[in-house]
Order: sequence, then C-alpha cells, then structure tokens
Amino acid sequence: MKKSVNFQISSVHLLSHLGQTIVAVLGVTFGVSMYIFMNSFVNGVNKVQDDMAFSSMAHLRIFNENTTQTYDPLQILNKNDNTVFHIQNSKKIQYSEGIRNADEITTFLYTQPEITAIASQLNYNVFFRNGSKKINGMLSGIEVENENKLFDIGAKVKEGKWTDLNFQKSGIILGIALAGDLGVKLYDNVNILTADGSSKNLIVVGILETSVKQVDKTKAWVNIQTARQIYAKNQNFASDIVINIKDLEATDVFRRKIAPTLPYQIETWQSANEQLVAMTQIRNILAIAVSLTILFVAGFGIYNIMNMTINEKIKEIAILKAQGFSGYDITIIFLSQAAIIGLIGSAVGVVFGYFISLLVNNIPFEIAGLSTLPIYYKTPDFVLAVIFGICTTLLAGFLPARKASKIDPVIIIRG
Amino acid sequence: MKNTALKIRHLIKYFHDPSTFQVLKGVSFDVNKGEFLSIVGKSGSGKSTLLYVLSTMDTDYEGTLEINDQLLTGKSQNQLAAFRNEHIGFVFQFHYLLPEFTSLQNVMLPALKLGRLSVDEIENNAYNTLRMLDIEDQAIKKASKLSGGQQQRVAIARALINNPSVIMGDEPTGNLDSKNTGAVIDIFRELAQNHKQTIICVTHDNDFASRTDRTIEMHDGRILNSLL
Repeated sequence: MKKSVNFQISSVHLLSHLGQTIVAVLGVTFGVSMYIFMNSFVNGVNKVQDDMAFSSMAHLRIFNENTTQTYDPLQILNKNDNTVFHIQNSKKIQYSEGIRNADEITTFLYTQPEITAIASQLNYNVFFRNGSKKINGMLSGIEVENENKLFDIGAKVKEGKWTDLNFQKSGIILGIALAGDLGVKLYDNVNILTADGSSKNLIVVGILETSVKQVDKTKAWVNIQTARQIYAKNQNFASDIVINIKDLEATDVFRRKIAPTLPYQIETWQSANEQLVAMTQIRNILAIAVSLTILFVAGFGIYNIMNMTINEKIKEIAILKAQGFSGYDITIIFLSQAAIIGLIGSAVGVVFGYFISLLVNNIPFEIAGLSTLPIYYKTPDFVLAVIFGICTTLLAGFLPARKASKIDPVIIIRG
Repeated sequence: MKNTALKIRHLIKYFHDPSTFQVLKGVSFDVNKGEFLSIVGKSGSGKSTLLYVLSTMDTDYEGTLEINDQLLTGKSQNQLAAFRNEHIGFVFQFHYLLPEFTSLQNVMLPALKLGRLSVDEIENNAYNTLRMLDIEDQAIKKASKLSGGQQQRVAIARALINNPSVIMGDEPTGNLDSKNTGAVIDIFRELAQNHKQTIICVTHDNDFASRTDRTIEMHDGRILNSLL
C-alpha cells in the first residue's frame, strides 16, 4: 500500500515531464546499445582473427626441439682449477630428432577427454623444382583425415581433391601461389629436393588456397607415409603432433596436465602467437572502455536531470514530508524514477543494440576472405549491458534522491 | 477523560544563523481538544517558529512537546513523520499542492501513505471531504489549474483526510480575499465544534483572531497574554 503511493508519485513525476524522461531514457538506451554493438563487433573481429589463425594453427603442438647441445665435458671437469684449454671447430652432435614413437603418444593423447582432434605431421624444408625453376618451401607430410579434422583444409582445395592424397601416395598438393610460381598445373609433375640431397618426383593432385599469403606461396602437402619414405624415417616418426582441445582458452591447463608424461616440448597457440592474444585483449579493453564511457556520460545526464527535478520540486518534497512522508519514502520516490528510466532504457537499448549490430553486419567489407563487417553476439554482453545500464542509472539517481530525502521541510516551507 | 490535545512546557529555541539569537524564551501552554486557537504577534515575535515546533517538523528546541498525551520530544524524524501523517493536518499560507496531481489525488495522498483504508474507501472519503468544502466539481482537475481560493480549500481537504486530532495553519487565509477568508474560518469553526478537532492557526489578521476561541499573543519570544 505504502509502496504503491510512492510509485504512484514517481510515475506521475515521470509522465508529467515526459520530454525530460525520454531524454534520460535515450541516454541509457544509447549507452546500452553502444555497449552491445561495440562488444559484438569486437567479438566478431576476434572471431574472424581466430578462425583465420586456427585454419593453419592447432591449439597445441608437440615437437622435439632441435636444441644445440651445450654439454661440454672439458668445462665441467675442469671447473675449479685454472686449466686453460682451447678447442677450435668443435662439432655438435644431435642425439635425437623428431618424435620417434608418434603412435604411442597419439594413443595416450586419445585417452584424454579434452581432446577433439589429433594429427601427426612431418614438416621439412625442401626445394620445389620444375625445370629450371627452384623454389625454397615447406613440405608437410600429413595424415589426410586427421589434418582435415583439425583445419578443415579439404574445403580450401580449389582444384583436385584433398582425399586423393590417400590414394595416390606419390601425390602432392601445392599452395596456389607456389603452383603459379613453379608454373605447374593439376596432374603435372613436380620434383622435390631435401636438405639431405634425396629427390623425388611427385604428381600434383590438388591446388590449395588459404587466405594466408605466406602459406600459399611456400607450402605443399603430401601423405605422411610418403614424407617418411622420402626422409627414410620409420613408420612411427613425426616432427610435430598437433592437437585441438575443446576449450581453446584452456590450453595452458592441458599443457601442464600432459607435460610430465611426454618427453617432448609442448607449445600452446598463445605462447606461439602472443601478438594475437595481445591484440584480442586490447580490442576487448577498447570496446569496454568506449562503451563504459558512453554509459558514464549517460549516467551524468541522468544525474543532472534528477538534480534539476529535485530542485524544481523542492517545495513539493517539503510538503510530502510535512504530511508524513519519511526520508525513506522520498528516496524511494526518486530512486524508483531512476530505476524505471534504467529499466526502460536498457530494454530498448538491448533491442536497439541488436539492430545496429545487425545493420553493421550487412555493411560490405571485402578484404581477406570477409564479405561484410563481422559481428558475433555473446549472451554475457547483453546481460552485462543491462546490468551496467541499470547500475549507472541507480547510482546517478541515488545521489540526488538522498539529497532530496535530507531536505528540511521547515526551511523550505518558511522560505 | 483528559481534555488536553497539546501541551508544551518551557520551549526555548535559538537561531544560529547569522548570529545566535533566542527566538523562544520559555513558552508554556495547553490547548484543549476541540479548541480553535490563534497565535498572533508582530513579525519576528516567534509565532511561526513556535508553530513549526508544535508541528513536530522542527526538532531543534529545548523543553517538551506532548500531543494527545504522547511525548514527542526526542523522537526520530521517521517516527515524527509517521505521527504527523496520522495525527496532524497542515494548511499553509501558500497552498502548496502538488501541481501535477489532480485535486482528488492531492487529497488522497496522505491517506494512501497512512494505508489504513482501501483505495476505494479513501477515494470515497476524499470526495466527501471535497463536497463538504464545496469543491467536489474540481476533483479531477489538475491542482495547478485551480484558483487560489479553490486551491486553499483543496489544501484544507488534504489536511482533513486522515481525520487528524490537530490541524495547524500558518497564515491559512493570508493569501485569500475576505470572502474566501470568511469561508475558511467557518470551516475551521465547524470542525472544532462538531468534529472536536483542535485548530491552531498563526495569523496577523485581527479579524481572524477575533473569531477564534482563544488568542495567544507572542512578543519577543514570550507569551504576552492569553485571552479567552
């Protein structure tokens, strides 16, 4: 009963200054919709970046690093005396290279529940040759199905078929720019020459286009069996094992979990691409900063309007108090006005923000495989926008409302 | 049954701004139930200050205030607000209605705040009160659209809605012509006689004072004489 009187008064206040109310509501609407738009836009950009990056990059990579041996027995044995020694042209010996027991490791990895896909790779630098043309590049021996599971690479093959690598062991798929540079077409021959001096003729069974120029220009794919044969490696050999897991943000947790069991290095995509992570975070911060600034300005507008209203109604407040309305009632009357402005503003802002985003999502933007500006909606952004919108208005309304509740009716009525 | 509606003892009050100045210098009197009392005095004599102490809105005083045998000195602002709502009605010199509300809503608000009756009952009571004051036809007009006399009647209706035991007026006719002044005095007399409501009005209108049951004259913060 008592509450409904206060709300009745606050709704009369809101309705009798409809123009002012609408301005206040629009302030919140603008802030909330900008928050949603900015965050959806940044999410879209982040997603495009991630999609691009993860088209050629796995969440984790296991490899045997080609470290230079630092073991020097002379240094160790004569550490404490003053012996002077001099060795020239010392030769380094690499004890192990690559992953010799790839099957064992993938079997172990498949028992981990976080895993979504695993693929073994055998990557080497080679020369691609066609007649007098000789181009330095990377030959990647891959497991045909698994590689496709990780990177959806089959969809990027422009000519030929990805799965042909399965059937044609002497088949090779070239990056589109590499094929152009070599001057080869589908079903032409191309010769490869390894650093060890072995060479092999392969048939082009596909031409592939990623949107990453560097990859298109230098990379080619063969069946991992063929690669092992070229390098004279056993059936379990791989240079890299790449893994995708369910949560791409949880790579570090997973790395720490499996690291003790594996005698190899494990690299997460974050540590390999710190610039990606940094850019993503900077964009997120930027979006939040801009949208919160807008909300803050809107809050300031509401604060001003409420303050004006209260100065205007100072006599009415005094009268209400004389008639027995307590300071608490007065606070409720004005705070509920702020709450209503916040609620309506936020609700309209959510709808408005969604439509602005939708509109922007239709603006043509034809660069790097995009057709329109990217937008990606996330539920938490909408929830946070509403929470921020309501909190800002409540805060902006609270200070004037408290001021109103402290008005001394005697001073106002006596003049 | 005791017949005292309001009792004050040794009221002392200072103003501190701009310099410390004693406004009330030990005022004591009783007001009976159903009495129509006027307080007169020159400006600066402390009569309005006294009224605002009686109204419970001003709590910065020494001495004691009792209304209906209830000691009000020392109670919290919120307790006093609730007490005012139930037991005291106000009529001010400048009607002070809420301009955005209709006459009816203005009258209903204190009763809605008290929350003792249903909205329908309150609306019915408000109509009856407006009818008694002969302005029922203005009920659904915005308060800001009424004439001065009409507004003052609505303000009186608002003061009456919770059937308070004490009605206080600060120059309630100060803004009205003689015809409307007469009407207001008649209403007050009728409330005091027939409804046993206590009326305390501050005025500087001697005609008004002469038509009340008792007049207290203030001078320099003291009661000069008390005429019956």
